[in-house]
Amino acid sequence: LLLAAAASAVPLAFITNQGSDDVSVIDLDTLREVARIPVGKAPAGVAASAAAGRVFVTTPGSNGLSVIDIASRREVARLPLGQGAVGVAVSPDGRRVYVSDWFGARLLGLDAATLAPLLSVPLGAAPAGIEVSADGHTVWVAERDANRVAEIDVREPARAQVRRRFEVGEHPFGLLLDAAHQRLYVLGVYANDVTVIDLAAGTELARIAVGRAPYQAALIDGGRHVAVSNQRADSVSLIDAQTLRVVGTLDGFGYPEGIASHGANLLVVNWMDDTLAVVDAASGQRRATLALGLNPRGFGAFVVETEPAPSTTRRRPAP
Amino acid sequence: MNLPSNPRRAWLRGAIMTIGAMTLGTAQAHGPTRQKVIEKITVDATPEAVWALIGPFDGLAKWHPAVESSPASAGNGEGSVRTLKLKGGGALVETLERHSDSARSYSYRARDGGALPVTNYSSTISVSAAPEAGRSVVEWRGAFYRGYPNNDPPPEQNDEAALKAVTGVYQSGLANLKALVEKK
Repeated sequence: LLLAAAASAVPLAFITNQGSDDVSVIDLDTLREVARIPVGKAPAGVAASAAAGRVFVTTPGSNGLSVIDIASRREVARLPLGQGAVGVAVSPDGRRVYVSDWFGARLLGLDAATLAPLLSVPLGAAPAGIEVSADGHTVWVAERDANRVAEIDVREPARAQVRRRFEVGEHPFGLLLDAAHQRLYVLGVYANDVTVIDLAAGTELARIAVGRAPYQAALIDGGRHVAVSNQRADSVSLIDAQTLRVVGTLDGFGYPEGIASHGANLLVVNWMDDTLAVVDAASGQRRATLALGLNPRGFGAFVVETEPAPSTTRRRPAP
Repeated sequence: MNLPSNPRRAWLRGAIMTIGAMTLGTAQAHGPTRQKVIEKITVDATPEAVWALIGPFDGLAKWHPAVESSPASAGNGEGSVRTLKLKGGGALVETLERHSDSARSYSYRARDGGALPVTNYSSTISVSAAPEAGRSVVEWRGAFYRGYPNNDPPPEQNDEAALKAVTGVYQSGLANLKALVEKK
């Protein structure tokens, strides 16, 4: 167990390879693939949580969820769930996991340790990307075919319900919560724009035109910029988080989807090229290109920055 | 040419499929997983010479053996719509999304219901210099979903059928392009 804990004391990326039914594990210090973990069919969504010590992977091809233990880097559970799980997110305390059920049109909530069902909230058609508030009280889900985002109060699972909704740019799939600024960025795949919502005021702040088919977003530079992958433009747009304007565009990607920040690096999953591009976020220079499995997606929070607690001593934190 | 053996029937199938999808409702559109095809060929000619032939968005009929005509509404301008008439029947309507003479690359997106058993089809063709001087590499890549939007597709509209059809279009086109350019 000590060995397992020591082995996991590095930042890792867990990237879903939809075409090869596995997950690539990348050591973000050495920039090497250190494991390839077989999971259920057609893995797409991913949520890696140091607090939970686990990585949750949706597998729409086998209608379910695969659970990976970070310390041992093994799949430890596989369960059927809903009618096509797509998006997935873990509460910051690591206690709950949320999954969007694409064909079932609902949000499902599970206990992240026992995987027991906690809640089910009906939503609009084709729910996709998910974000959870820092206090764990609120969940946002993109209702893709309704062109809305639902804000759900999840404080009491038995009474979980939609609190309010926001109209957004057409075909929202990916979401990004900027907790420090209390803002939600919603990516409109058909609208080619990003809707920015002020969560405190409940108002729309901006719609920012980006490249074709914006798919996922990540905060970079300590939250000063938002990077957006533009799938059909093979590019990444950089948005100034203060002015909400596009201040730069990085080119040379291949159908980019998953995107994340790690230190000074921007990590971009190239679905078309089966690679992970590691880019210096400040200069835009390519630092490395790593081979992944087939048709990688990385849809969700795929980076674990901190060492998970050893599994023997892992306890639920007090509320 | 490895298009479906009877392009007209394939086109009709596509039309019927679209109507079926509309009556079945909206949430079923994304169940299948996205597929891709990447085909490359090395040509014994400079990138400039190859791009002169394949660069014009409306020039597909000049080099693809399956295409009868390919007029475009606005040349190489973004949003230009080209209508492909296939030899033996069938059609495809495609919109230009990006075109760059400097990068020698263009990207387009097809309207659903055309003469290929796919949906949500987008594609990029580009030419770059090969390692050996005077030669070039042409790459044609596409992303798409199979023709049948729900679970349990019939064989002619499953993932394999979609992959086979798009692969056939790219391989036959690139082989003919190579032959045309190298004959000059």
